[in-house]
Amino acid sequence: MTQVLVPTVCPYCGAGCGFFIAVEKERATGIEYMPDHPVSEGALCAKGNAALEVLYHQDRLTSPLKRKGESWAKISWEEAIDLVARAFGEAIKKHGPGSIALLSSSKCSNEENYLIEKLARLLGSPNIDNCARLCHAPSVVGLNRTLGAAGMTNPIPDIANSKCIFVIGSNLAENHPVLSRWIHRAKDAGAVVIVADPRMTHTSWMADVFLQLKPGTDVALLNGMAHVIIKEGLMDRDYIAQRTRGFEDLKESVKDYTPEKVAEITGVAAATIVRAARSYAMSPASSILYSMGITQHSTGTDNVQAISNLALICGHMGKPGTGVMPLRGQNNVQGACDMGALAEFYPGYKKADDPETIKYFSSAWGAASLPLGPGLTATEMMDAAGTGEVKAMYIVGEDPANSDPCSKKVHSDLDNLDFLVVQDIFMTATAQLADVVLPGAVWAEKEGSFTNTERRVQWSGKAIEPPGAALSDLEIVCKVARSLGLDFDYPDAASVLAEINRTVPQYGGITRERLGKAGLIWPCPATDHPGTPILHTSGFKFAEGRASILPVPYRLAAEDASFDYPFVLTTGRVAVHHNAGSMTRRSPSLISREPDLYVEINTADATRLNVADGDEVTITTLRGETQAYARLTDKVKRGVVFMPFHFPGTNILTTEITDPEARIPEFKVSACKISRRD
Amino acid sequence: MPVYIDINRCIGCRSCEVACQRVHSGSGHINVHFVGDYASVPIFCHHCEEANCTVACFTGALHKEGERTAFDVEKCTGCGLCQLACPFGVVWTNKIAHKCDLCEGRAAPACVTTCPANALTTDFELANRRARARAARSAAQGGRR
Repeated sequence: MTQVLVPTVCPYCGAGCGFFIAVEKERATGIEYMPDHPVSEGALCAKGNAALEVLYHQDRLTSPLKRKGESWAKISWEEAIDLVARAFGEAIKKHGPGSIALLSSSKCSNEENYLIEKLARLLGSPNIDNCARLCHAPSVVGLNRTLGAAGMTNPIPDIANSKCIFVIGSNLAENHPVLSRWIHRAKDAGAVVIVADPRMTHTSWMADVFLQLKPGTDVALLNGMAHVIIKEGLMDRDYIAQRTRGFEDLKESVKDYTPEKVAEITGVAAATIVRAARSYAMSPASSILYSMGITQHSTGTDNVQAISNLALICGHMGKPGTGVMPLRGQNNVQGACDMGALAEFYPGYKKADDPETIKYFSSAWGAASLPLGPGLTATEMMDAAGTGEVKAMYIVGEDPANSDPCSKKVHSDLDNLDFLVVQDIFMTATAQLADVVLPGAVWAEKEGSFTNTERRVQWSGKAIEPPGAALSDLEIVCKVARSLGLDFDYPDAASVLAEINRTVPQYGGITRERLGKAGLIWPCPATDHPGTPILHTSGFKFAEGRASILPVPYRLAAEDASFDYPFVLTTGRVAVHHNAGSMTRRSPSLISREPDLYVEINTADATRLNVADGDEVTITTLRGETQAYARLTDKVKRGVVFMPFHFPGTNILTTEITDPEARIPEFKVSACKISRRD
Repeated sequence: MPVYIDINRCIGCRSCEVACQRVHSGSGHINVHFVGDYASVPIFCHHCEEANCTVACFTGALHKEGERTAFDVEKCTGCGLCQLACPFGVVWTNKIAHKCDLCEGRAAPACVTTCPANALTTDFELANRRARARAARSAAQGGRR
């Protein structure tokens, strides 16, 4: 029997590991590892190993569906597209283009994201966003402001060159497991690893210095470290003088953040803060890795800026082994942002509120007019749906009914829409609320380019055909656009990428032909350009090439433990699940390893609550209540509880309060109470 | 060549378990155990030089083939003595015995290739070198880690 090996990029996290899908007689029969892959070197985490389990799952959507009372009726593609086009056409005609909103998907390829945002904008609506809003919007806003570019400054394998690795708010051992191989390689060469997290995690096992801070006190910790560094004269004075502006303001703003005061706020011993600060500042090359523990706060943008400040005053930027590394959670969340599926940016991070941008894309797309942004963000879209400002929504490959905070409200908001079309591979909680459901294809059933967390653009091949009548998102979006009278004539992903090459400068030289084994890291402006693995090697794209040091005062999280709600609930991920779990909860070898929603409670707290390990408990916040079973542990400190957000229950509890700038909800801090269910 | 584990590197992600199951049609031979809140340890066949399971196996289904503790499914009666004999609990019976075959026919055992943290290796020298380097660093840094 002939077996073909098709190279693909893993559909789960943003690490972008490669693997081959073995195909026999048009069926995917297995996975083969890819030992020469630059990031994963053949490795795959549990999720990657189980990736094929979703392909032939019985729950796959195989036909367009129309709501019929409480049930669903299978309909043809013609009828489905006609319904969608008519509903959107009507909404635009009656209520104006601002009454429609599109949510693009960080699971979709660059080409698909580009087309989805182009569709929204050509229809005249600035309301386009993707779930980056829920994970790294503060990185996009904060790093664009301080460094002039959002994204990891250095590639993943470069972590091995670091002499001090500071991981804050990231449990990468579980969420980006392959990064741990590069951290261990650095440790082999003598690197010091610092981990700051409210929980003792698998990542903290790698740490030489572990800072177990109280949820929501990151700015205080980072300012405290800056205070120590400045007071002890450990900063890089030359770098500050030549490459930055704003140092004096920072110096002034952190002068009160003494280790003792910060210890009081964060719960981390003053001596440990000093040790972490010295290790970070004095090493010849230090890098900072962070993730949603930093961003998912009402102070998310502040947190990101405080990180950037630390790197800038120590000059840990633009050299091997240094940098600021936001670890992205989805296979193409970086690409979705690059492609402009964001409320405040057109493709290539061109500001949506800048008339120059509108002029540029009007001529590039041959459009008479384009909407000036910023549009509604993902979270604002839900509110707008609730108030009736938005009438029709098109959601591609996202499950806000599970992944957005305060999910009860999201349900009622989405219910309030005149028309909702959801395009997905499974009947998600969001799809349940739709009027029309369109069956999409998974990564293995289509081709296209995906950009991983280190800005590496990789081409993923098509291994098999989608099931039943399901189509790739690219085909579906083109059908919808054409039926709305737009000229979307793209036969394949390569033809879209060719247009991206012309309109997105960072992707100018990233052509289909050049995307070989290792991919290309943007910015890559021309076809003879080798890509840019390390950013900011010769200054920043601001005036005089200087980065901005922006002082940030510590602000309290929106909620804190109180008499009625005595615990702080923080949320996160586990190794065998991914995000809202629509894929991993359907994957037998993953769900069998973590089948139920649980809540981690400190042993001493549990004793006081009379809760034993494995007991069913009710967790209540101002938003609602959820059942889970208790896991007694000393991983969390007293007063803090943790829940994974891969199950529908968790986000019933979380707060809808957002960061004022990046509009990311504060998933990481909610006041709650816990009681045993008897 | 048996598989060696560097417990300092294991991150408890359970990739090895899923990979092993995947290449052995659902029945895995490696298990990650969590010790308190601070460590995880994959437990799998040591391919012991004098393997208790081969001594207990009266049909010769389990036998030594060089360094490997091999298994001949044709000879297995499913009696379960090997399971009782194994001091590590890594041979198990479900109608017939199941144990690590070091992924015969593959370039390397799936668990070794897939391990994101590089905690598993078939290279005895590498395992040894890492342990020595760790001891040296610890001595030089006054036992700091």
